[in-house]
Amino acid sequence: MLQLLVPALVLAAEEAAEEPSGIDLLIPETSELIAGIIAFAIIFFVVWKWALPAINRTLEARQAAITGQVAEAEKTKAEAESLLEDYKQQLSEARSKADSIVDEAKATAEAVRGDIVAKAEAHAAEITQKARAEAQAEKARAAASIRDEISALSVEIAQKATAGAIDATAHRALVDQFLQELGEME
Amino acid sequence: MEQLILASGACDPAADIICKPENVNELFEFTHPLFSIGPFDFTRTVFLTFLAMVIVLAFLYFGLRKTRVVPSRFGVLVESAVGFVRDDIAKGVIGPEGGRYVPYLLAMFLFLLVANLFEVTPGINFPITSRMAIPVFLSLLTWVIFVVVGFFKNGFRYVLDIIWPKSVPIGLRWLVGIIELVSTFLLRPLTLAVRLFANMVAGHLMLTLLLVSGWVFMSSVGDIGARSIIGLPWFVFGLGIYLFEIVVAVLQAYIFTLLSAVYIQSSVHPEH
Repeated sequence: MLQLLVPALVLAAEEAAEEPSGIDLLIPETSELIAGIIAFAIIFFVVWKWALPAINRTLEARQAAITGQVAEAEKTKAEAESLLEDYKQQLSEARSKADSIVDEAKATAEAVRGDIVAKAEAHAAEITQKARAEAQAEKARAAASIRDEISALSVEIAQKATAGAIDATAHRALVDQFLQELGEME
Repeated sequence: MEQLILASGACDPAADIICKPENVNELFEFTHPLFSIGPFDFTRTVFLTFLAMVIVLAFLYFGLRKTRVVPSRFGVLVESAVGFVRDDIAKGVIGPEGGRYVPYLLAMFLFLLVANLFEVTPGINFPITSRMAIPVFLSLLTWVIFVVVGFFKNGFRYVLDIIWPKSVPIGLRWLVGIIELVSTFLLRPLTLAVRLFANMVAGHLMLTLLLVSGWVFMSSVGDIGARSIIGLPWFVFGLGIYLFEIVVAVLQAYIFTLLSAVYIQSSVHPEH
């Protein structure tokens, strides 16, 4: 048995020595191992010293920018709301003021109108009164003038009729008396 | 992939439907260094590792170079990625103390994401996490961090709570303690690395086999006639898996980072 087994084992060992085995793939090549260590060490160093700090800086800058923008937006919004409130209040005050101005204007206009009307009525009444007075005076003057003329005419007529029975002064007195009585009768 | 194409060219598709390369491992191994600096071979995988680093740095630089209140679309993408790791993974899993682990988790997530997405990047089509170096390195780093944090925060009680869990009935404590001890100090880093590695290996193999075999069948129409139509569903299925692998690439980066956070959290708050 041993005599059969030993040559078979020797043959297998010789074949294994001659032909590459799959187990060789499990043994790392030294040059590949060194290359892998160097490559990974460089990547690790770059990631550790540069890439992660860079991405952290980027994230911090982004966070700061977003936070700043949000704060700015909130501030702007608050300002806008405040302005809107101010505008609304101002608008309300303006409307109220406009209403009061309009009311005041209406009242003033009403007062002015009343005043003007009163003044106009007074002026009209005054004019009417004055016109009446003037008309009365004119009438009186006309009546006096007529009286004078009638008196003169009467005297003249009487003188011609009586040819000197009474003097002119007496005759004028008679005529005046007559006219006065006539006026009283009117 | 080159090996598969070479193998397909060497075989006779009329006689041998299945052609395989001499060494499938060469789908993942690029043994010819572009140049060497002493013992350090600058292979295609090494070049892609540094390319992943450059892409991650460029991603961060162009997304974060200017402090903008209103970010650009690309800036939103970068900030979303950072916010996702910081809020959902670091602080979401570890708690308020998770802030100090954000650089580690973010660097890990971005590096793994780009490394995984190389699988579906036209012109590259090779996830550097399907090589064991990066998964092993990152899982060991996570292991060191959560063990150191555990001792720093809790002292020796950290190990004591693991091997003698008081929330477990006393009869089972020794058994659960052994399981937890093995799980925490041995299996966690191993499963963390192997999960990522195996997923990316499987994805890379599936894509390679489906797309290359589909293409080989379809391009051999002169040799195998109507049988070349077999390649069409393979190719279409490969394109479907291509989309699926985009999800897998993102998901595996997320899972690796999330589990790292969970392990750290278990050291920061062992009572949970």
